[in-house]
Parts: sequence; C-alpha cells; structure tokens
Amino acid sequence: MSRPALPFILASLLLTAALLAVGLRVGSYETDYALIGRALLHYDARDPAQLVLIELRLPRLLLALLAGAGLALSGYVMQAMVNNPLADPYLLGTASGGALGASLTFLFLPGLTVFGLYAPPLAALVGALGVTLVVVVVGSRRGRVVPTLLLLAGVAMGSLVTAVGGLLTFLAATEEKLRTITFWSLGGFERANWATLPYPAAAVGLGLAALALLRPQLNLLLLGEERATALGLPVARTRWLLLLIASGLTGAVVALCGPIGFVGLVIPHLTRWLLGTVGGGNMLFCALLGGNFLVLCDLLARVLYPPAGLPVGLVTALFGVPFFVYLLRKQGA
Amino acid sequence: MPRLFAARLLGRSLPLLLLLAACRPDTPATIAPPEAAAAPQQLRDDLGRTLTVPAHPRRIMALAASMTEMLYAVADTATIVARTQVCDYPAAALRKPVINSYPLDLERLVALKPDVVFTTTGITSEADAQRLQELGIPVYYQQYDKVEDIFRGLTDLGRILGRVPQARHLVDSLRAELRAVESLPKPSPASTVLAITWTDPIYVYGQNTLFTDKIRLAGGQNAVLEKFTQPYPALTREYILQLNPDIVLGGSFGKLDSTFFRLYPELKRIQAYQTRRIYDPTDDLMSRPGPRVVESVKELRGLIWSPPAP
Repeated sequence: MSRPALPFILASLLLTAALLAVGLRVGSYETDYALIGRALLHYDARDPAQLVLIELRLPRLLLALLAGAGLALSGYVMQAMVNNPLADPYLLGTASGGALGASLTFLFLPGLTVFGLYAPPLAALVGALGVTLVVVVVGSRRGRVVPTLLLLAGVAMGSLVTAVGGLLTFLAATEEKLRTITFWSLGGFERANWATLPYPAAAVGLGLAALALLRPQLNLLLLGEERATALGLPVARTRWLLLLIASGLTGAVVALCGPIGFVGLVIPHLTRWLLGTVGGGNMLFCALLGGNFLVLCDLLARVLYPPAGLPVGLVTALFGVPFFVYLLRKQGA
Repeated sequence: MPRLFAARLLGRSLPLLLLLAACRPDTPATIAPPEAAAAPQQLRDDLGRTLTVPAHPRRIMALAASMTEMLYAVADTATIVARTQVCDYPAAALRKPVINSYPLDLERLVALKPDVVFTTTGITSEADAQRLQELGIPVYYQQYDKVEDIFRGLTDLGRILGRVPQARHLVDSLRAELRAVESLPKPSPASTVLAITWTDPIYVYGQNTLFTDKIRLAGGQNAVLEKFTQPYPALTREYILQLNPDIVLGGSFGKLDSTFFRLYPELKRIQAYQTRRIYDPTDDLMSRPGPRVVESVKELRGLIWSPPAP
C-alpha cells in the first residue's frame, strides 16, 4: 500500500523553508528579517552581522540539511539492501571508523595539516571508508554480499574500532583532546563553511539521482533474495551498487559532521510509515525529512546550550528515541 | 622597640635558617624533632572538606604540576616523596619518583605512605580523593579564582607544613613584584584579550578562570565577559566575531595563521588578526596556578604591550 507522496513532499519543503527562516535568526548576533533580506539580496561582506548570516549561519543550516538527507537516504538504502529494519548507515562501521580516523590525527599529528590540508575530515573519510571496506570483505562470499554475514561483520568491526578509539581516548591525557574526540563521537555542524559544502551536496545529489534510477530494483529486493532473483533481478550487482551509494553518502557526512546517530535509523521508518513501503516519492521525502530533522535538532542544541550548542548527536537521540518508541507502540497497536 | 629587635633578629637569622633548611634534606626523618608527638592538625581545605594531618607532615606530595611547584617553593624539599608524570618544574622535581596521576596509580601512591597529598580543583577527581581518604591518606584541595588566592594558598601551605617564615617571605616578595607590575602605566580602555586553549572545537579561557584576574593585573581585559558554567567554554565563530578581541593568545601569528585562521577564515576579520596582535604565551605559565603566577602576569603584560608582529 502506498500513498501519494506529493503533498508530503510539498509540506516538507514548506517546513524546510520555515526552519531555515527561524534558523537564520538564532545566534549571538542580534538579527532581524529586514537584515536577513538585505543579506540575501544585496550581500555586503563589510557588515559583520551580514557576514555572520551568510558565512556562518547559512552554511551551518545547509550542512545540517544535507547531513540529515544523506544519513536518512543511506539508512533507507541499507535497510532495503539487507532487508532488515534494524540496519542504519553505521551498519558497516562507518561511524566508528570515521571517529577513529579523526582521533588519530588529533593524537599523532600535532599540526593537524597534511600537504596544507586540514587533516581530520580527510582522516575521518579514510577511516570511514577503510573500515567499511574491511566489513564488506568479511561480509561477502565469492563476490556476493551476504546480508547476515555483513550485519555480523559490521557489529564486530564496530566494536573493535570503538575499542581502539576508547583506548586512544583513555591515553589522551589532556582535557582538550578529550573534547575533540567527544566531538568526533557525537557530531556537530560548527565547522560548516561554503568551501566544504559542495562535497555533501554532490553526494546527496548523486545519491538521489542514482536511487531514482534504482528504485524498481530496490523495491524488488524488499521481496527477499529468492523472489527478487526469480523475478530476474541481478541481486549481487544491485547490492554492490546500493552499498557503494550508501557508503559514499555516509562517508561524506561523517567526514564533515562526525557520526550523528539515530537519523539514519528512525527517518526511513517514519518515511515508510507515512508513505508505505514502495512509494514513488519515498526517497526524496526521506531525504527532506532527515534534513529537516537535523536542522531542528541543531536549532534545539543551540537554544538549549548557547553559544556553541550541545553535540547534535545527543539531541537526535534525546528527542528522537522517545518519538521512535511512541511510533513503535502505535504501530504495534 | 621589641618588634624592631625581633625583625632585626629575623633578618640576621634568616640566612642561617635558610641554610639550615638547605642542609636538612640529608637527615630529615631520622632525627625526629621532639614535637613530632604533637596533636595532629584538624584542617578544612578550600572545598570545605575536613581532614586530619600530622602536626608535622614529613612525607608529602602533590597530584598537580602547579601544586608541585607550590611545594618546592614552600616545603622542605626532602619531605616531598614523589611527583606526577606531568610535574617538571623546578628541575629538582625530576629526580623524585613518579606516581602516575591519570589514571591514578593508587597502589604506588599508597606504598609511599604520604602524610598528606596536596592538589587543586579540576585536576584530581573527588572520587580519587575519596578513595585515598579511605586508604588513610588525607587529600588537601586548593582552589584559586584570583591571583591573591594563590598567595593565600602558599601561606596555608606554610602553616600546614610548619614553614610559616618561608611562605611569608615568598608571598611578600611576590606581592612586591606584583605591585611593581601594577604600578606601571595602563592603557585606557584596556585591550580585550581572547585566550584560546583548543581550536577544534574552539575552547577559550572563560570569565571564571584565573586568567581573567591575571590579564587584568597585566593591564588588559578578558574578552569573554559572559559567565558560562564551564570555566573553559566552547565558543562559536559567530560569538568570537561579536567579541572582536583586540588580542588573541594561543600561538604565534604564523602558527595561528596556518592553523586556526586557516580553519576559520571568517575570523580573519577580528581586530586581533587585522592588527596582527596574536601572541604565544608560555603554556606552563598560562595553565599552572603556582608561585610563577607573577612571572606569568609579567609575561602577559610584555605580550599585550608589545608592538604588533611585523
């Protein structure tokens, strides 16, 4: 059963616009809508308030939007690929791998730069994709991804990498280093800037386009491997493609925002609950919903604990889990 | 007249006392002074915790690098039984056995049987202190919000350790030195100074840290006026743009230009970057509230009064 997605998508877009409008007002500088209008239409970088709006608040909101979209999409794909509602974007150890990569640079690279580039995001990306690769190699047999094996390999590798990260945290004697590592284990958007926004934007754009093309295959996979094969789906190849898309999306997000939990688990559920399992607009709606959710969480984080905000991963869990539980109970009834 | 006489006597005998103190290291514990049997001291530390310490503690140590510096300045150095892995000043401290403070090496500490352990808030957890108390080792906390608190801390140490004259002498000379710094001309209005401790995320010295008092004594002003619950709050770039500090401390201009301002190019608009007033104070002087605090104030004064970097 599926519902028409268009009204939901339009409502989400309206919500996005409303959240952006509110989000542009939240911060240390006093700003009003007249100023926001001026900054958007006739940007004057000499005015510090306008600079703050355009260079700091706007990229932060957009990064939250893209991160939410990326993680929600990635979770949607993962759940479909392994046909298990417990799957999330970090199933493949991406989150712990990213956190480990970043922590390593803080502990062993005093200057934090490699060839003039700021190293932590790069290391996070390398760590995320590296651990993913190991999990995929362990979780596949003769070129085929085996979902149960993949799930187990992901959980095991995740524990191992988390343990190594824990060891590094334990050995990091200074309080400041611990704080950085905390950031890399809970996530946040404070470092958002225009220079790095194109990467998650490209990842989400390409991911959405590819998934639009792969939608029939994705829905066939939901029928289970045997029936999908019987209906002529090249299951092995489809799974590899989906895996590639999901890892790319998660990696791009983790590298910039750290591993933000829970979005990738709860948003796909909410999407299917509202629109049905195989709806045509599911992917787009899922991305929008995820984006809105993270923008809202970031706003809450900043309002609750100004100025820097709580780590957004805490907020997603604190507000997301009760809602998720409510949803589960209601569904079960 | 008697007071004058006493002062003169003290003045004459002080070198002798100091000499005696310097000689004591070789034979401290063996010839126990007769007053060793005196009643133990009931003390209340800066956290309001009560503890019982021998009348004349002869085995002491500190769990904070700053406190080790305090002990070396006031105590009979032969009574200091150990240091932690981070205590590296004065150089003489390096010869003492090392007790790991993080994670706390309880077994080695207990084996050394100190009469009392000194530490500061924020360095030793109260859980560790509680554990030590249960094992029969009293832990004395000191806390410093102002430079004056450090002087009071030194005086307290002198009283607890039976080294009142040494502590008074030290504190008097530190106060005189500080007064000399304070009497120097001050700019008006005072430059606002933002001292960063970590770049990603950005953590700074908040209003409720010793830094606020030190920079005031140096003729500046902590740029962070708002009081946060955390002494070292995390700040957003937006917040720092609004503070627009005159001076940034935390690294040389070259270093911060290639790290901090590379990571946050938007912050290049702040006054401190535009006028290149970005300086690198000595880490240990910034972070250790000890007897070198006046040296730290002097260093800060030198930095905030120096001409902008070329």
